[in-house]
Amino acid sequence: MHRRARLFHIGVSLLATMSLVLTGCGTTGPGGSRDKIQVWALQDPQNEPVINAGLDFFNQSAPVRAELVTYVNDAYKQKLHVSMGSPNAPDVFFNWGGGNLAEFVNANQVVDLSHALAARPEVRDAFLPSVLAVGRISNGQYGLPMNGIQPVVLFYHKGVFADAGLEPPKTWNDLLSLVDAFKSRKITPISLPGSQGWTELMYLEYLLDRIGGPDRFSAIAAQRDGAWRDEAVIRALRMCQELAERGAFGSNFASINYDNTGASKLFATGKAAMFLMGSWEYTSQLSNNPDFVERGDLGWTTFPTVDGGAGDPLNVVGNPANYFSISASSPHVRDATTLLIETLSSDAYVEDRVNSGQVPAVAGVERKLEGTPNAEFATFTYDMVAKAPSFTQSWDQALSPAVGTEMLTNLQKLFLSDITPEEFVEAMEKLS
Amino acid sequence: MTLQTPVFGGARRERPGFVWAAPAAIFFTIFGIVPIVVVLYLSFTKWNGLGAPEWTGITNWRALADDGDALHSIRITGQLTILCWLIQTPLSLLLGVWAAGPQRNRAVLSTLFFLPLLLSTAAIALTWLSLLDPNFGLAASLGSYVGVPDGNFLGSDDRALYAVAAVISWQFVPFHTLLYQAAARQIPVSMYEVAEMDGARTMRQFISITLPQLRNTIIASSVLVVVGSLTYFESILLLTNGGPGTATRVLPLHMYVKGFVGFDMGYASVLAVLLVAVGTTLSVLIVRSTGYHRMNSDREGMSG
Amino acid sequence: MTLYTAARHRAAETRPHVTTTVRVRPPKGNAGRRNRPVNVAAGIAASFWLVIVAVPLYYIALTSLRTSDSYLTDGALVPPGNLTLDNYRQVLDLGFDTFIVNSTIVTVITMVLVLAMALPAAYAIVFGGTRAVRATFNTFLLGLAIPAQAVIIPIYLLITRLHLYDSLTAIILPTAAFSLPMAIVVLTSTLRDIPRDLFDAMTVDGAGTVELFRRLVLPLSRPGLVSVGIFSGLNAWNGFIFPLVLTQSEARRVIPLGLWNFQSRFGTDVPGLLAAVVLSTVPVLALYLFGRRQLLRSLSAGYRR
Repeated sequence: MHRRARLFHIGVSLLATMSLVLTGCGTTGPGGSRDKIQVWALQDPQNEPVINAGLDFFNQSAPVRAELVTYVNDAYKQKLHVSMGSPNAPDVFFNWGGGNLAEFVNANQVVDLSHALAARPEVRDAFLPSVLAVGRISNGQYGLPMNGIQPVVLFYHKGVFADAGLEPPKTWNDLLSLVDAFKSRKITPISLPGSQGWTELMYLEYLLDRIGGPDRFSAIAAQRDGAWRDEAVIRALRMCQELAERGAFGSNFASINYDNTGASKLFATGKAAMFLMGSWEYTSQLSNNPDFVERGDLGWTTFPTVDGGAGDPLNVVGNPANYFSISASSPHVRDATTLLIETLSSDAYVEDRVNSGQVPAVAGVERKLEGTPNAEFATFTYDMVAKAPSFTQSWDQALSPAVGTEMLTNLQKLFLSDITPEEFVEAMEKLS
Repeated sequence: MTLQTPVFGGARRERPGFVWAAPAAIFFTIFGIVPIVVVLYLSFTKWNGLGAPEWTGITNWRALADDGDALHSIRITGQLTILCWLIQTPLSLLLGVWAAGPQRNRAVLSTLFFLPLLLSTAAIALTWLSLLDPNFGLAASLGSYVGVPDGNFLGSDDRALYAVAAVISWQFVPFHTLLYQAAARQIPVSMYEVAEMDGARTMRQFISITLPQLRNTIIASSVLVVVGSLTYFESILLLTNGGPGTATRVLPLHMYVKGFVGFDMGYASVLAVLLVAVGTTLSVLIVRSTGYHRMNSDREGMSG
Repeated sequence: MTLYTAARHRAAETRPHVTTTVRVRPPKGNAGRRNRPVNVAAGIAASFWLVIVAVPLYYIALTSLRTSDSYLTDGALVPPGNLTLDNYRQVLDLGFDTFIVNSTIVTVITMVLVLAMALPAAYAIVFGGTRAVRATFNTFLLGLAIPAQAVIIPIYLLITRLHLYDSLTAIILPTAAFSLPMAIVVLTSTLRDIPRDLFDAMTVDGAGTVELFRRLVLPLSRPGLVSVGIFSGLNAWNGFIFPLVLTQSEARRVIPLGLWNFQSRFGTDVPGLLAAVVLSTVPVLALYLFGRRQLLRSLSAGYRR
């Protein structure tokens, strides 16, 4: 072979080999640290310092150190799913409880914490029962709440309401007349990021609860035959569709996106009068649009009642909390259990949470909330949840992923009047 | 498939054998073909990604027939593919030919045109998502000029697919332009000189010389556009997530939603196999019907 | 007789016969560019495209310099009152330099692998023709249609079996493999346009396959190699799904994964994300500007006529 060509070939092979060596041959374990407790969580600038503080405290006296690894939202679920059951699984992982956690439980990949809790009843009783319940799957406690409660709240723009001389709604009929009033003033009555189905779900969740009470959804979650075909479900769907058709969300809601703050912006700039969203919206507005909040224009209230409805008006829907669970294949189950039991309801951890602006799912925390910068909203949120006879988890987290995704797609079609409530219900019935 | 003997004379000539293609073939078999075989296996199982797959025979395949959404996805995918080809090919061709020309500002502008290629899909999707925001983006300010006063593009059943096709084209036209530019520069100037001597005008030269000379490139580029549109969905995921409802849910997105959001890997594998089958059939069809597989040159007959 | 065939005949007639061994060297300078027709339609397309491209790019650059209040309150294309470099600072604090190094390694090696494997394969496909080679071409046509997401799980299993999890190699191998079909399609197109007369001339002189490859194919396939290099390089630079599933630690993170840091649970920090996008585009852009001359020369490497 020609000398130059040979040199070239040698060069390339050398480069290739060197790079393979440089890039490292990798591992089968998670970064080769089977000697640490790997805690996986969602990336969240609010959460991370709190978790890290808790882990640091644990590490001071623990035989095995714990470390936090975070991932971005969309990627997290897939990453978790792909790794569970493989050698790269985390020891402790963040999840949403409900159906989401049930998938792992049913595959026998999660540790049951009931015994550990029974041995420490004061820890078990520290958590708000309605929140702890969502970490229970088939009579075992598989997850412990690790962050704040996030009920769905009806926000409204005080400035816009004042200008129009109107009051926030107490009943559904109030809401409907508000919709008409704002439409005539060329203001979008309610901001809705309709390009993402989960935002529309909040209306359905509340309406079903108001009309038929929380049992209707429990039946659906338990996959009972005909649970979707319930009269209350159809009525709730119809009311959602009527709200959309009435123009409550404007004509272009299906193009609005929540993640790029399009919907929040619409609300904060006063182009929309109301916004039904999880309580995190408050913190989000505070960091993105501080003037709006500091001016006092951000108002909040509970979801309106429905005349003749069977549901308790104090009921709440939303994300009870997020949970930490322990993977059954972890070599550090005992230490991880200690980590969770000791840390999550400890005073230090709870206080950190409060200071970061969240409302921990812990009983008796009102006193700690007073005097914090956002005390008013935090207290409101806490009271809402503490007084609620039931706290229904967001359906897309409570149901199995397969059913949840179908539901969201069909819901989008419903809001766009592409399908009728009856068709929606039939499609869901076929799936479950 | 029979391959005609290439037009290279001489029985004495040795031809490059399989050993030249072996590294590529082996490498691709390991990382491309073997996984597809595994996916084929998975299509006959029920698996949610955890635990072990459970053999269920043809249950998933039967479910395909019942799945109205799958049929709908196929139709949407077809529409998107055609749209993408119609937008990308003429535009890339013209731009490539222009870039191969003698204009002085060509260099600066070519650099600019090249930039979309450098951006990641996430960046592009996010940018367009903001530009198409119906209340605060360009769609709000300019929407009324195109007959859409409320700026509702990505959320409209009718318009979403066009918007998506436009964004995808924006991303990939630079690449195809590059292909056409390279090929256009290869066209011997002599052909144009001769045509000029014959008194042919620019348009005639374009139709009679440029286009036929670019035939190989048009086919290669078209195969890439068609098969690419069939399997591409990252932008769509970020722009509309298949919405509104299912108006832009192309087949690969349907597969992704079923497999990675709904964690029904078995059924998602069925869709994956379907995708590969359709894509391969299409590319083989294009290649055979245009005679591409005969490996002929566009410059046949130009003896030196 | 059509204009096309007439032109070909005329060109053939006026050419002197070449009987000596042809040494092929790409022409220097702008020899090929003189006298090409100026196409009005193409010019119009170019102007239209200029606007379409410039506006989003302007948006990206501008937004990366905004504060988040300004992003919320001002219009999309209106320059804000106060520009800020905070977003860039934030991005760099995140450890972007590691990401850039990792991405560079992945990209360079992927490009080398793809080119080193695809060109010989294309050579065999176009100039060879054994049954095995034809089967290879069909396999790659099949490979074009395989979406990466469909096979990500089997690939994940394969990578873990090979003990390559959480390494840059884990990203490189599947990325290179999935760039091969496109590379083969483009290179076969380029190679088959190599004039037969050159090929025949060299063969008559007794050149073997290796020599033909070295002296004929390699130099003349430069335009195709450039296109393939660019596309597979960019694929590797911007690839997301393989790094996502096959790596884990921050030391192995590549730029696209780093970009997604700007998505928190409840919303996207758009100015931050776009600043990261600009930063991640800068190395590639610099490379392009620097290598533009080379690029143009390769693209204009035609056959001296």
